[in-house]
Amino acid sequence: MTAEPMTSEPVTAEPAGVIDRGGAWAVVGSGPHGLSALKNLLELGLDADGFERDTDLGGNWNFHAENSRVYESTHLISTKPFTQFPDFPMPDAYPDYPSHWQVHRYFRSYAEHFGLFDHLTFNSEVVDVAPVEGDRWNVTVRDRGSDVTTTRQYAGVVIANGHNWWPKIPQYPGQDTFTGEIRHSAQYKSADVVRGKRVLVVGAGNTGCDVAVESAQNAKETYHSTRRGYYYNPKYALGRPSDQTADLLLALRLPLGLRRVMFKSVLRLTVGDFEKFGLRKPDHEFFETHPIVNQQLVYYVGHGDIQPKPDIARFDGSTVHFEDGTSAEIDVVVFCTGYLAHFPFLDDSYLNPDGDHPVLARQIFTPVTPTLTVSGLIQPDSGQWTIAHWQGMLIATYAALRAQDPVAAQRFYDHMVSETGVRFTGGAEYKDSTRHYYEIAHQEYLRAIERDLQRLESMAPVGAR
Amino acid sequence: MSTPARTRLRRSSKVMRMWDWSVPPTSAHREVLSIVPEGWIDEPRATRKPPILFVHGLAHGAWCWREHWMPAAAERGFPVYAVSLRGHGDSGGRKRLGRTLLRHYVHDVMQTITELPQKPVLVGHSMGALIAQLVADRYQPQGLALLTPAPIQGAAYELPRLIRKRPLDALKVVAGGTLPLRSEQLFTGLDDVTAARYVDRLGRESPWAQYELLLPHRIGPVRCPVLVVGTPDDRVVDEKAVEVTAATYGVDPVWLPGIGHDLMLDAGWEKALSVVLDWIDERC
Repeated sequence: MTAEPMTSEPVTAEPAGVIDRGGAWAVVGSGPHGLSALKNLLELGLDADGFERDTDLGGNWNFHAENSRVYESTHLISTKPFTQFPDFPMPDAYPDYPSHWQVHRYFRSYAEHFGLFDHLTFNSEVVDVAPVEGDRWNVTVRDRGSDVTTTRQYAGVVIANGHNWWPKIPQYPGQDTFTGEIRHSAQYKSADVVRGKRVLVVGAGNTGCDVAVESAQNAKETYHSTRRGYYYNPKYALGRPSDQTADLLLALRLPLGLRRVMFKSVLRLTVGDFEKFGLRKPDHEFFETHPIVNQQLVYYVGHGDIQPKPDIARFDGSTVHFEDGTSAEIDVVVFCTGYLAHFPFLDDSYLNPDGDHPVLARQIFTPVTPTLTVSGLIQPDSGQWTIAHWQGMLIATYAALRAQDPVAAQRFYDHMVSETGVRFTGGAEYKDSTRHYYEIAHQEYLRAIERDLQRLESMAPVGAR
Repeated sequence: MSTPARTRLRRSSKVMRMWDWSVPPTSAHREVLSIVPEGWIDEPRATRKPPILFVHGLAHGAWCWREHWMPAAAERGFPVYAVSLRGHGDSGGRKRLGRTLLRHYVHDVMQTITELPQKPVLVGHSMGALIAQLVADRYQPQGLALLTPAPIQGAAYELPRLIRKRPLDALKVVAGGTLPLRSEQLFTGLDDVTAARYVDRLGRESPWAQYELLLPHRIGPVRCPVLVVGTPDDRVVDEKAVEVTAATYGVDPVWLPGIGHDLMLDAGWEKALSVVLDWIDERC
């Protein structure tokens, strides 16, 4: 909290000179993926600088940060074993599903343990990432306190700025004439905004379901509009955390069809028939949409505190009309309609040449350039930071190989590029939606990363560190 | 590092830890002993000495380090820690010892590590050396010191000799009992009273962990400095186990003749400790 805005006019553009950071890599963002990339680069003996626009690390999990999208009640929806970094397990004292406060403390102790604070610069917003001769990159960083910009040159860049912070806001007919309040879940930090109101929650992602439940507990009336019927998975089924059961079935190598049958029967046994609650029957198979893990939603539907609704047809004054012809008077609409990937510091031609969404190899390498990598552009059907660790390890191992043997590293990169766009769906066919652009089946994806790591290690000079 | 060593280092999967994800180890109360310089926790990087975490062997406990090595290493400026694995020393989990696997011990060590403000040098003794290696398979410590290590190639090859020389002990182990460790196996130069006192403190071992010691373990690649210490007068772990472990990491073992298996307790412990601390000062 040392940064005080300076009174003199901002120093912009044309920095006096570019600071050459030699073989160092730059890491954009200090969320779990940024931290893991930084730690693994350093551990493999490379130099690396991490940049964070806020005054503390944690990215999305740094509750008070401008771009943090966690709300007061946020807890993990996957349990510790697969969610934690494999080389830095969460404390035994943490519950199965830790809160965002605990998660933030965990990231801080990770950073301290691995000495990352010496390599992180806070309050520093990356404003430009531009290529220079020899596959190197100029990274321009603005100090948010003094407004001074500095450009440093790096051997490579890891982009880990997250993909759950740039709101995706839908447009419905008459939306501009709506007399109530419309907000995106990005501006939802606690139940204060819904207390005592008539609330419409739009979207059945995990945020949408959390907000609907919180609204049911605090608002006057709660309506929950979803495009389709979903499987609402319990956090615990038959006394075990559901994600651990899912991993058990995968460990036993059960085929997709059998796992579907088992999951649906457990759901029926423990939660019941969704249609009997007035929810719609899912229009898709299990594992075809990103899993929703929420044990309370169905409970509140059963108590009438949440009224399920189909998609919105149009807004009209203070009334919202739904596609089934019903309508409701609404004070507050919370759009829990998700987020889009957004890289404001980078020209679209590097990650997103077709302008829709980035199509990468392993969600890490772009076919456009070999030294620009992405970490965290994934949405696994389970926990995430085990994958963050291995993505960081793959990038670091690749960066180390580039430093030692650029020809071999190029061979690896060429192989990676040949797999651009390959998806890891675990055999399922994901529903076409922006929500599933980065969806991966966690175990199948990790197996691919492991093969890549073995390929890289077999290329490394013998005895090299 | 020689090429054959690298080949041997290849293991099936260090990424896909399916059982840890689906049936995670339970937690148990951990006894962690420590001697830490004042103010070090807040300023861990102010000293140049990395912390040391000691991992004891079969049927031992953190107490075996507290006797001589911890105070002596602290005297030389090292922050020192020792953990009692579950079911050992004053740690919890004694009732569940019959269901305890090596991976539970690995969990205990990992939990202890994450409480440290800085990466430690892992010092493991006997079975603790094997656990330290399993830890290093997922976590890169500052250094890895393996003292009279349990055989990484699996102790099964020692069974015939055990059956021949001490058939009752062999029978006991196979039946799930704790491998008996007597003072003449652990010590060479201790007076009888002291030796008996130490042997008295030995506890039980998990039968499953003992069975796992018979199996080969594949680790690697380990990227930190590795030290392997053995003694020709060890009557628990033979020279072959020390040599194979050292070769796995492409290092030459350091031999300390005249000291027994428990080199942190036996007469001559000062010499063994200085070998470890000098190595840490030089390499880690």
